[in-house]
Amino acid sequence: MKLEQLRQGVGTLWDSMTEGWERLRHGAAGALTRYRPEQKSSLPTPDEVDDASYIPSASWAMLGGDVFEDDKRLVVRLEAPGMNKSDFDIQVRDGALVVSGEKRFERESTEGRWRVLQCAYGSFLRTVPLPVAVKGDQARASYRDGVLKVELPKLEPGKPIVTKISVG
Amino acid sequence: MNTRAVTETKANTSPSREEPALLPPVDVIEDATGITLYADLPGVPKDRLNVRVEGETLLIDADLVLALPQDMQASHAEVRHTHYRRAFTLSRELDPGQVSAELSQGVLRLRIPKAEHAQPRRIAVQVA
Repeated sequence: MKLEQLRQGVGTLWDSMTEGWERLRHGAAGALTRYRPEQKSSLPTPDEVDDASYIPSASWAMLGGDVFEDDKRLVVRLEAPGMNKSDFDIQVRDGALVVSGEKRFERESTEGRWRVLQCAYGSFLRTVPLPVAVKGDQARASYRDGVLKVELPKLEPGKPIVTKISVG
Repeated sequence: MNTRAVTETKANTSPSREEPALLPPVDVIEDATGITLYADLPGVPKDRLNVRVEGETLLIDADLVLALPQDMQASHAEVRHTHYRRAFTLSRELDPGQVSAELSQGVLRLRIPKAEHAQPRRIAVQVA
């Protein structure tokens, strides 16, 4: 996500402190995700591709992730287009949501010349830190429009904790 | 000679949209009968996708919608909506009237065939 959006998100967070929902943006640094090609990759070789920036072994994508919170639950939203919902591996581990999966490179025909190849393919892993403890066994996930949404009930329902910090 | 059927171009920003738009990553493959373009547009439902051809320009415009369990207040709209935008110049050998588009799990697939006159054609050779 672009820096302007990160700043906008932070500004709105302070505005919405009194609202039921709070939006915690977990930074651009976490969103940039490495995609590793599968062992028997059907990705084209560099000489089949006219895109000078194409490197099959090093593709990156912005796997945008947001965490929303209210009294009862956390909702994690992860952008991961072009997947089959059965290809996601979702776990709650040590206070974080760990999502891994594989975006397969599949094309109807292999004829033709690739002019541009920017989308990321292969296996990825994204860790989203969770601000509070959750009941992992009661989590529910759905996948729509290329966005994975995971709802996690809080272990101890309650308003999001806000700590005021004063500058000395 | 530039043999590319499709090249990146700068999208004209319409006056009503001031916020910066996200540039979606794309894959473009060109074969003998046309081009196929794939774009990653996560969070875009079908009714917020706008694909159009203006002259020689192909424009992809889409709104990303945050589908939260409960509706947030309208005052947070500027953060809720993010816009995707990308434009391409199509070469004259392509037929923009025959564009087909599909959107599935955030991936847009566009197929633009080459015009009749540019399709590969076998010419029967008569033996005199």
